[in-house]
Formats: sequence, structure tokens, C-alpha cells
Amino acid sequence: MPSSTHHVVLGNGIAGNHAASVIREREPDSRITIVSAGALLFYNRYDLPNVFRGRQHWVDYLVHPPEYYESRNITLRRKTQVTELDTRTQTLSLAHRETLHYDKLLIATGGHAYIPERLLDYTKLMLGFHNFIVAMQAQKSVRKGGTVIMLGGDVMGIDLARTVIATGHRVILVLDSRTFWPHEVTPSERVKYLQALTNMGVEVQDSGRVERIEMISGTGSARRVFLENGEHIRGDVVMPFYGLVPTVDFLATSGIDMERGILVNPQLQTVRDNIWAAGDVCQIWSAKHNAYRFFYGYRNVKAMGEVAAHNMTGKKATFTSTVSEELVINRDGTLYSPYWEYD
Amino acid sequence: MAYDTDIQISICGSAGDGTIAVGDIFKRAMAHIGYRVIAFDQYPAEIRGFGKCIARTRVATSRVYSMKGYSDVLVSLNDLHAIPHVGEVRNYGALIYDSAPMSAVAEGAHISGHLKPGHIPYALPMREVSELATGANRSRNFVALGFVAGLYQLPQDAFHHAIAAKFESKAAAVTKSALAAFDSGFEAGAASYQFDDVRIDAPRGRKSTHEARMMTGNGAIVQGCLDAGIETFFGYPITPATGIMEHLAVEMPRHGGRLVQTEDEIAAISAAIGAGYAGSRAATATSGPGLSLMTEMMGLGVMAEVPVVIFVSQRGGPSTGLPTKTEQSDLNLAVWGGHGDARRIVLAPTNVEGCRRCAGRAFEIAEQFQVPVIVLVDLYLSNRYETVFLQDENEFLPKNWKPATTPGAGYRRYELTTDGVSPRCIPGEAGGIHTATGLEHDEYGNPSDNSGTHSLMTQKRHEKLQAAIKHPGINFTKRFGDSGKVEVGLLTWGSSFGEALEAMLLAQQEGIRCAAMKVVMLSPFPVRSVLRFYKDCQQILVPELNYTGQFAKLLTSEIALPVTRISHATGAPLDVANLVEAIRRAARKHRRRHNAA
Ligand SMILES: Cc1cc2nc3c(=O)[nH]c(=O)nc-3n(C[C@H](O)[C@H](O)[C@H](O)COP(=O)(O)OP(=O)(O)OC[C@H]3O[C@@H](n4cnc5c(N)ncnc54)[C@H](O)[C@@H]3O)c2cc1C
Repeated sequence: MPSSTHHVVLGNGIAGNHAASVIREREPDSRITIVSAGALLFYNRYDLPNVFRGRQHWVDYLVHPPEYYESRNITLRRKTQVTELDTRTQTLSLAHRETLHYDKLLIATGGHAYIPERLLDYTKLMLGFHNFIVAMQAQKSVRKGGTVIMLGGDVMGIDLARTVIATGHRVILVLDSRTFWPHEVTPSERVKYLQALTNMGVEVQDSGRVERIEMISGTGSARRVFLENGEHIRGDVVMPFYGLVPTVDFLATSGIDMERGILVNPQLQTVRDNIWAAGDVCQIWSAKHNAYRFFYGYRNVKAMGEVAAHNMTGKKATFTSTVSEELVINRDGTLYSPYWEYD
Repeated sequence: MAYDTDIQISICGSAGDGTIAVGDIFKRAMAHIGYRVIAFDQYPAEIRGFGKCIARTRVATSRVYSMKGYSDVLVSLNDLHAIPHVGEVRNYGALIYDSAPMSAVAEGAHISGHLKPGHIPYALPMREVSELATGANRSRNFVALGFVAGLYQLPQDAFHHAIAAKFESKAAAVTKSALAAFDSGFEAGAASYQFDDVRIDAPRGRKSTHEARMMTGNGAIVQGCLDAGIETFFGYPITPATGIMEHLAVEMPRHGGRLVQTEDEIAAISAAIGAGYAGSRAATATSGPGLSLMTEMMGLGVMAEVPVVIFVSQRGGPSTGLPTKTEQSDLNLAVWGGHGDARRIVLAPTNVEGCRRCAGRAFEIAEQFQVPVIVLVDLYLSNRYETVFLQDENEFLPKNWKPATTPGAGYRRYELTTDGVSPRCIPGEAGGIHTATGLEHDEYGNPSDNSGTHSLMTQKRHEKLQAAIKHPGINFTKRFGDSGKVEVGLLTWGSSFGEALEAMLLAQQEGIRCAAMKVVMLSPFPVRSVLRFYKDCQQILVPELNYTGQFAKLLTSEIALPVTRISHATGAPLDVANLVEAIRRAARKHRRRHNAA
């Protein structure tokens, strides 16, 4: 392998960072660049609910200090949005009108919150929880003892709900078909799991889908959510948790095969020889299911980073998931998801 | 929580980007708010073209003495120029840059690719914001300035005020578009999440009852000249001294003075000596190359015992050298330059307030001792802005030379007196007729090649200057830091003293006993107080901005004791971190020796 190989890792999340560190271990001399649209170093988003517990300095969430990148000679390009991939010239177009050449590319752009189409007009009236700034905004919006209205209720939302309740707030969860995403649950399991949510202190609202959202004037972020049955609920903030969609918009003209995510073989390779994908962005061929599948959760995503890094550096590795996809009810009657586990 | 604000922000752009202009507004606004400000701009030597400009401003709640060796914030108005300075920014400091350049950039040409992992990026489409706010992209410098003010929650009013003042003489539309661009940038800054740890706390109540003003060293020299009642100035432009003449050209006519731009430096010094001879408070200003030309005529000033003040702002040399870079390499020329034993007085202020004081006192001293006085600064001090608190009342003495008590037939203009200073008459004074010449002369001024006369007159011209060391109203040496015996002493002069003092304060925080002394009078040399200081220090470091250690050599020739030279000739001020390291090394050496003993 020529030492001048430029490995570009697109995405500063778990998959991208783990891949970069493995590439560095295997190739001490190659050039490694991590590209990220965000401003921060890699930080632990799984821990973000802790902003409600008063951990409000972003540095406390860092996975690695700045020196980590310097000592490993990994270039980190932040605030660098990729707008296009040209596989013929092996270049990425960056939003600030620069191009970046790669020899080998790992796409690990993760996913972003899915908002059902009927609610798109209300996006501005909702607050996500996808990064540190928004997490801080959400926390600041909720009064002491105030109410968070959660829409949908995927595992990220339910995880957050645990902390919000534990810190003395109310959580009203407006149910949807995507509640418990990405776990697939049968109708009978759903009843059990909803009871577990109630045991956890979540106020479950099952009066139909959200019809519209209104701002309560003069209150900042306080909102009124109108449900299909005409009822409405009031909260300090409305947060959508309908699961994730892969971030692939910049690949529209790339010729990379996609369905919802990037389609890869079990070695995480795309249809292009020198392009791999890992993390929430990819759908991996599963012979068992005879279909391309998403594999979520910290352990899966990290393992994908590792597999991709090995394959990018000349080794043959294959991804297999070891993470259970089952929701569990704890002895105390509360809910537990294997996706909440991380190192 | 109240803490000490001490941040440095650098704005880097290309000539034409308005870098220096917004840097100027930033420092004036911050001084207006009540911070102590010290600022230094760097700009290209070429008047036209796209050279690099950097406006660096240090803002603090307490007094600071030099620029910092690193910046807390770097604003890029031109990535090509700013990229080499990215390393200046500390970890968790901020980089603010344009996220939407006008045209495509080559790989590696955008600043975002050069940030260190510890830097906090703020990408702002400056050009687009400027276009939206003003209809043109020219004002992106104001967008950037506004962003800084918004991000750090600085009072918008102070900036509005400074912008309006800056464009006072321009069409109203200029101010309007600058304000619109500033406000848009401010809004963007205020809406940004501040990830960096740059804190700008509200300034504390100011101790001084005097008005705070932002001044450069050159500006302070002008103020000193005006306060001392300068009457005539002759000069020829040369960077970095030109600002003195430019400013005086505006001010002197208002104060009843006269200023003439002469055809060259020789004419300038000649005319100034002529005016001094005629009893006028007279001065000229130049830089190293000009001082070379003036040395012959300065000899005349010494020989004919004529008061005149020569302001010299040093730049990198020799020859045309580095016109826009700083250096302290004209000490030899100022103290010794020229033929014959032509001793004169040389003062070297160490900060902006000192520039005013030395300028004002220089006229008194020149008159009292009837000799040319050089006030020696350098580009770094000439162009550096500091907040100064000027006193209302003028402290400088009016003309007060030793008059001739009995002019008449026996009037001896060069009388050998006990203090060496002779009674002075100016042309036109009844009974004051005498010969003033460049030739050696007797007490009447008549040319004489008598060896005894030459010997006595040479002695007179030297000895009369010794008393200058005691001239009131100015500290010719001053000690800072720990009193009594110390491990490390820093002895230095001119602009370098600020860095030395900062380094000393940092070393003290590390538990090193150290002190620093500034030497303001270089000729005659204040041997006694320097010796006293020397004896208190286990080791003496002499940092300065030249290659040969000119001050260190002057020092060793005067006190005949060894010192450690820290000579630095890069065209840039001293680096405080390097100085601290040198102090640490010296302290370690001392401790090893001490322990071994
Ligand atoms: C608050 C929160 C809590 C979560 N909690 C859980 C949990 O408890 N359990 C669980 O299983 N999952 C959880 N998740 C999901 C989990 O974060 C993801 O599964 C995991 O982070 C995916 O890692 P990744 O490396 O694939 O992508 P990500 O971590 O999403 O990283 C994507 C990276 O790509 C970059 N990027 C995207 N597009 C571009 C572009 N065009 N140009 C440049 N850079 C781009 C982004 O800046 C980012 O750095 C949570 C997510 C959030 C937001």
C-alpha cells in the first residue's frame, strides 16, 4: 500500500472516528482526513440527555481531546459540508467551493431526524435533540417542573424521556406507528411496552396523530399540539422522535447505489471499488434476510467502522451484528433497549 | 463571576480588505467601553498591491505591557494571508472566516483545512451577509467585526459610536453601509453558540480620574511635542517616523508652530539645528537611514552646543532593509554614530505614555544641557496603540535655559563653568554676539586648535551631560518585580521592555524570584542604578531586537560585567513564551549551582 494514500472519512461520528483510528493503527504513514459538517470534535451524543442533569459544557462530552488527533496525525476538517461526490475524479465538492481529493473514501454521514411529511410545515415549531446546541436549547426551554411533548417516541426519545422525568419534568408522549423505532414490535408487545413507559413516568397520549402545532404567543418555545381527535396539549417544548433517515442528499449525482441508505455488501463496500460506507447511513446486505438492512446502535456502528477500516487497508473483514434487536422489560417494569448501551 | 479579561484578537486580510480599519474601530470601541487596550498593526511595505495586513489588539481589564505571543481569536478576511497565522491561535480559541468565497478555491487554500483540532471554527458567509445588508460585498470586514461583537456580547453602541467617528468626514452613505453590515454581523454573532472559551468580562471601574485615550507611540510623541510647546519642525518622510510629521503638520499650525517638509534629512536636521540655535523649540523625526544622514550635522549641534530634538523610529536594516518591520538596531548609531567624540543624550521610552513623557522632557533637557537629544523608539512602539490616561495639566517646563547674566563685550558663550553648562544668548539678544561654529573653539566661540582648549572643551561637552541623569519628571531607570536579591534579572530597553515585563510576571507566577529593569536613558548611561540592580541578580538576561546585542554591549562597556544576551532579529517583537523559557533556564542553572554549593 503506498504510504501517500489519502483516506477521507466523511463523518465525525462513531463510525468515522473508529474507522480513522483503526486505519491509523494499520497504516502509520497514510494521510487521513475526517470531514465533518459540525463545528465540534467527536463528542458522545448518547450522553446528551445529561444536559438536563446540569452537564452543560460541551467539552465534558468530548470522546477525545484535541491532542488525540494531533498525536495520530489525523486531520479533522470541521464546518465542512460536502455537497457532491464525483467518483470519476475522486473528489468531494465542499460547500465553501473547495474540492477534496481522496484515494479511498468512507461515507459515515449517519442520519438525521425523520419528520413525517404532514408535520414538515411545523419544523420551526419543534426542537430536535440531534446535537449539543439543540440539546442545550431544549433544556433551556423547559421550565422547572415543566412539560416536554415528545412526538413519535423512538429509542433516542425514550432514552431522553428517562432523564427528563428523573430531573423533575413531565413527558407527554404522542404515540405513532414509529414509537419504539428502530425496534419492530408486534401489537401485543406494543401494549406491554406502553405499560412499561407508563411505569417509567411517561404520560402516554394515544388520541391519534398530531394534526397541527401552534406557538403560544409571548412564551418563547411553549407550544400547543392539536391532535386528530380535536384535543390539544400544551408543553414548554415539542420534540420529534420519529426515527432517523440516512444523510445521503449529497450523493444524488454520484452513481452510488442507494435505497433509503447507501447499499453495501457485508464488507461494507459500495458499488465503487474505493468507496465504503458505515454507520447509520448504510444498508448492509443480509443473506439471512435476503435484503439490505440497517443496523443501529453504538456497538453495531463502531463494528462497522472497524470492518470498513480493515477493508480500506487491504484486509478482508465482514460485518456481523452481535446486538440484540429486542426491547426488554426490566424487573421493575420499566423498559430497556440494547441500543442504549455504549462504552 | 468576575475574572480578569485578557484576550488578543487578530484580524488578517489583504491590503484593500479594510483590515486595519476595522481593527482600529475594534480597539477604539474597546477603549471607549473601559478596557485597557494595546494594539499593533502590521501592513505591507508596498503602498499598492495585495500584501498582508494584520491588526492585533489585546484587550484587558488590568494594565498589560505587550502583545501576547498567541491570539485568542483570529478573523480571516483573506485565507491565503491568514493560513500561516492559524497556529497563533490557542486551543479552544476561535477562528472566524468566510464560508462562501467568491470563487472556487484550490484544495488546501481554504482556511477550514488548516484549523488545529483545538480550534473553534465559526464559518460565516461574510460576503453574502454584506451583500444582503448593503447591496455590495465590500463591507464584509464590518460583517466580521459585528460578528465578533455579537458573539462576545459586546455593547453594540460603543461600536456604532466608533464607526461613526471613523467615517465622520466621509459621506453619510459610507457610515450607513458600515453600520448596516456591522449590525448584520452582530446579529449572526449573537445567534451563534459560543463554543470557544474566550471570555470578555465587563471592565472594572477605572482607577484613573483622567480620560482614557487610544494613542500610538508616534501619536504620544506628537502630544508630548505639543504639550512642550514645540515651535518648529523640519522633516523628511520615512516609515515608521512619517506619522509624527503628518500629525504635527495638522496640529502645529493650530498651536502657532511651523512645520516644513525639507528636501532631505540633511536639510531637516540642519534647519532644526538652525531653529534651535535661534531659540525655538525645534525637532525633526526620522528612521535609521535618515539618522545615518543626520549624524554629521548632529556633530555640529554637539560642537556648537545647540538644543534640538531628534525623534528616531527604528525599522529593520541595514540600508532600506525592512521598512515595515521592527528592530532595535540603531542604538549604536544613536549613541555613538558620527565622527569625533560627539556625545549627546539618548532617551528610549518603553511604552506609549513614556513616548509622550520623553518627547516633552527631551525639549527641556536639550535646552538645559544645550545639546541634541535623540528620542529613540522603534516601529513596534511607534505604531502600537495603548490606552493612555493623560493628565489635564501640562507637566512640561517652559523654556528655561541658563541665561547669560552679563552679556556684553566680555560675553563667553562657551564659558567653562563648574557644571559645564555655559550661559546662552540667542541671536538678536543685546550684547550676545558670539561665534558659533563647527570648528573647535575657545570660550568666546572663536576657532582655536590649541590642544589645551580642545581638551577642556571636549571634557566640558561630556561632563555637562552627566547631570542629565538626574533630570526631574522622568525615570531613567525603573525596577519592577521582586525586590531584594533575585534569581533572574531582565535588563532591557525600548519597546522590548513590555515583553520582558510580561515574561517576568509569568515567571513570578511559577515561583521564580525575578525582577526587570528598564533603562530609558541610554546616553549618558545611568551606571549606578544599573549596577545596583545587577548586584541583586544572580543572572542577568538582556533581551533585545537586534542581532549583535547592541544594548548588551553598551551595558557591558559601561559596567564591565557579563550578561546573557537574548538577541532576536526577525523583524517581529520578542516572543513572551520564549523569554519565559529563557528565565526558567536561567533559574534552573542558578538553582543547580546553588544546590551544588
Ligand atoms: C441525542 C442522540 C441520542 C442518541 N441515542 C442513541 C441511543 O441511545 N441508542 C442508539 O442506538 N442510537 C442513539 N442515537 C443514534 C446514534 O447517534 C447513531 O446511531 C450513531 O451516532 C451513528 O453514528 P454514525 O457514525 O453513523 O453517524 P453520526 O454520529 O450521525 O455522524 C454523522 C457525521 O456525518 C457528518 N455529516 C453528515 N452529512 C455530512 C455532509 N454532507 N458533509 C460533511 N459531513 C457530514 C456529521 O457532521 C457527523 O459528523 C442517538 C442520537 C442522538 C442524536
